[in-house]
Formats: sequence, C-alpha cells, structure tokens
Amino acid sequence: MSRTAALASFVESTPPGELTDVTKAIKSILGDDSAQSDLAPAFQRYNEEQFATVKLPGGSGEVLVSSYNSLGNDRYYDVESQSSFAFDHATQKASGVKSYVLESTHSDLVKSLLKSLGIHTSEHYPKSSLGVYPTEDDSQLAIITVANKYSPSNFWNGRWRSSYIYTPSSGSISGIIKVDVHYYEDGNVRLLTNKVVQFSVGANAGASEIVRQIANAEKKYQEDLNKAFGSLSEGAFKALRRQLPITRQKIEWEKISGYRLGQDIGGGRVR
Amino acid sequence: MADPIDSALDLLRRLNPKDVKSNVDHLISLNPDLTEDLLESVDIPLTVKKCPKTKRDFLCCDYNRDGDSWRSPWSNEWVPPVDEGEGVVPSDRIRKMEIRANEAFDVYRELYFEGGISSVYLWDMDDGFAGCILLKKAVSPNPQSSGSWDSIHVFDAQDRARTAHYKLTSTVILSLGTDSDALGGMDLSGNMVRQVESDMAVDDDTSHVANIGKMVEDMELKMRNLLQEVYFGKAKDVVGDLRSIPPLSQTNRDRATQKEMISGISR
Repeated sequence: MSRTAALASFVESTPPGELTDVTKAIKSILGDDSAQSDLAPAFQRYNEEQFATVKLPGGSGEVLVSSYNSLGNDRYYDVESQSSFAFDHATQKASGVKSYVLESTHSDLVKSLLKSLGIHTSEHYPKSSLGVYPTEDDSQLAIITVANKYSPSNFWNGRWRSSYIYTPSSGSISGIIKVDVHYYEDGNVRLLTNKVVQFSVGANAGASEIVRQIANAEKKYQEDLNKAFGSLSEGAFKALRRQLPITRQKIEWEKISGYRLGQDIGGGRVR
Repeated sequence: MADPIDSALDLLRRLNPKDVKSNVDHLISLNPDLTEDLLESVDIPLTVKKCPKTKRDFLCCDYNRDGDSWRSPWSNEWVPPVDEGEGVVPSDRIRKMEIRANEAFDVYRELYFEGGISSVYLWDMDDGFAGCILLKKAVSPNPQSSGSWDSIHVFDAQDRARTAHYKLTSTVILSLGTDSDALGGMDLSGNMVRQVESDMAVDDDTSHVANIGKMVEDMELKMRNLLQEVYFGKAKDVVGDLRSIPPLSQTNRDRATQKEMISGISR
C-alpha cells in the first residue's frame, strides 16, 4: 500500500472528535510536517462523510459539512443562516462567510423541513446539527442530522449520524443511520453500526409527515440496537468464555494434574 | 515533538481496533525504525498453526517466533523447521515447566472456554524465567452473529528465597458482531489491558505453575467483568447519551417533577 493510501486509511478510521489527535500522531510518526499534502484529500473525504460540524464566525449554532452542501473549492452553504463559508479540512475551522440564498424549486419544502426537523432533533438529541439540501439536479432532497458527544477526559466519544434522500416525485425515502462510539481507557473499544432504511411517504408529502416517518424509523432502530446489546451479551459473549467453570468453583491449581478432561470436569457433564 | 513510538501507540489506541494488524503493517512501512518496538508491544489477534508431529493446533505470537518459524508447545519443534543451530528453545528445567503449564492451561481452557486453543511458552531469564499464556476461541452462535476472544498474558517471575515475585500484563482482544436485514451491521470490537504484581510462596517448580494459574484465572475473571461493563454497559449508555428515545421535553419535565418531590420530602 502506498504512503498516501496508508495515511488515508488512518484518517478514515478516526473516531468522533479525535481528528486533531490522529493528525498530531501521524506527523510525529513521520517525523516531519510533509504529511499535510498527502492528508488533504483524506481530510476532505472524512469531514464530508462524517458530517463535520463547525461554528460560523458570528453564528450561534453549529452547521455541518457534507458533499450535499459543497460549493466546490472547500466552500459550503447553510440554508438556515443563508450563508456560505470556507472550511479548512485540516483544522475543521470556518471563515470567509458570505451571503448565500438557496435557489431551488423545493425552497419552500426545504424551509418547512428544516423547521419540522429542528423540532424533532431538539426532542431526541441533546445536541445536534442538521441540514436539508437539494441534490441530483434539484430532483431530490438530502436530509442530514448529526449528533456528537465528546468526553475525552472520561476517554469516550460518540457520534450518531443519519442521512436520508427524499424524492418528491415518488415520495420514497432511503436513508442510512450510523453510530460510532469510541472508549479508550486502558484499551480501545469501538462500536460501529450502520442501518439502511427505506420507506415511502407518498408523492408530495408535507414536511411534518416526512419528519414523522424519519422519527419512527430512528426510534425503531434505537430500540433494536438496545436489544442487540442484550443478545450479543447473552449470546456470543457468553458462548466465548464462562464466568466460572460449570462446577461454579475456581480451579484447584495444586490438584490440576488430577483433573481428567471430559470426565471429572463438569460433574459428569454429557459430552 | 513526541517520541514516534509513543505517537504510534497513541494512534493505535484511537484507530479501529479491528484493523490493528493492518495498521501495524502500515506504521512499519511508514517508519521502519518502529518495527521491533511495535511487534514487541502491540498485541494482535493470535494466529493458529498445526504441529505436524502431534497434529495439534497451537497459537503463534512474537514470543514463540524465530524469523518465519514458530515453536510448537506440544513438540518443542519449529514449524516450519529452522536451520540447524537456529531457534532458541528453553533450558531443560524451563521446558519441563512449560510442558506442565501447557497441560494445566489445557484444563483451564476446557473448563472456562469449553473449546478453543491454548498455548503456553516459557523462556529463561537471568534471575528467573518469563512466559506467556495464550488462549483463543471463536464462536458463531447463529448465522447472524459471531465473536472471538484472544487472551494474551505475559509474565515474568523473579526467584527470591522461598517466594517469587510475579508481574503479569494481560490483554484481551474481544470482537463481537451481528449482521442482519432487521438490525443492519453492528460491530463491537476492541481490547483492554491490565497489569498486576504479586509475591507468592514457591516450594518447587510445580508451585510456579499453580501460582501463575491463579493469577491468570483471577485476572481473566476481572477482565471478563470489565469487558461486560464496557461493551454492554458503557457503549450502550453513550448511544443513549447521543440520542434519547423518549422526547427530551418529557424527560426534563419528569426530572423537574422528581426534583420537586425530593425537595418536598426534605422540607
């Protein structure tokens, strides 16, 4: 694998909120700052794929970065604040804010979706960012939400991101939900999930109906995910290693040479 | 700037633990000076080889490796064979203990893992000896889910008068995953590391095997509980911190009511 490909693979698997740490480590390992140009394309892919969030100078909330609101040349737009901005993919900082007015045949739907989505996210995400952007020559709308929670002092970080593509002419919605959790106190544990969802809201549905269906799909997914933790714990985890031998007693190591496999062990367990 | 090896270890603590093997390979190609340190200090999932002489599977790590050959704990022979005079094997005394330890941990493996593979390797040190205990098991309880467990226990034992001082570093690599249409993909993987030191009485070499056995057994019990807490408690809690199933306005109202009740009681 080439140097660029190796570095890109590191960036791609960076946990939520740890891009600065990963970049710093890469530079130290290489022993120079020359990595910057190798890393630039990987940073852009990572930020757009992860829906990196950024506070605009003078703005209040955080806006997100994705391939759907890219204007090219590292500039992105935000519908709600009617502005565009330059985004530095290496430092994840925004600058050069300009006025930007969305031109789309779906402008009204975009605005009402932003409103409905805002109510939905404030009810289910303690902290999140969202965006709705026309895509595919104005024939579809991308509906994006991302929620981050970083707690590096407690050695964990997490991200929940959802993206849906709504086609107004058919009323179909296809989406993907991804959860990424990193825990790294005396170890390195990672939860990565992805779930594809498909549903239909009927042609020319209103914003509230679209968001209601999204909310239902996410609720169902989170409930399924919670159950999956339980079944992995009761299933695969238990099947790997017992907490105690079947005798419910720790081993008598002084007598270990007297244990006869398959006979004494397990008090006559049928094999 | 930080020491490159510290940075490499910090990076490996952050990147997806499932890719640790390929990440180590990338790091070595990016900075070949790190090769030895990385191979020594990073635990990767254990690989399995078959001992041609005994037809038994054994586990491979850096501690039973010489170039591209690995020593079988069952036959004490190298697979594939090394050149005449190459390949360090333990002294007679340590090899005797190694045979005993392999028998003991084979029992341990059957009692706790009910399957899988175990291997123990010991080597001579100036003031005692050192070794590693390896255990590996993989399961697939149903077509949608799978899991694997790798234990890597590395210890050294310093001989003192009638006692020995043991230092144990244990790593468990645990990977769990499910994939189904209903749930989609879910991967929960990682590793945790713990250390412990202990002084224990020693009558003869049999005591060493029993002492190390007790230490490993206690450590794995502790680590299994810890893994359970982190994988199924902490990770799930963080998901709940990111997104709330009940509406937050409801949760906040409930909290306010609860607070009121508590202050009502204390009044």
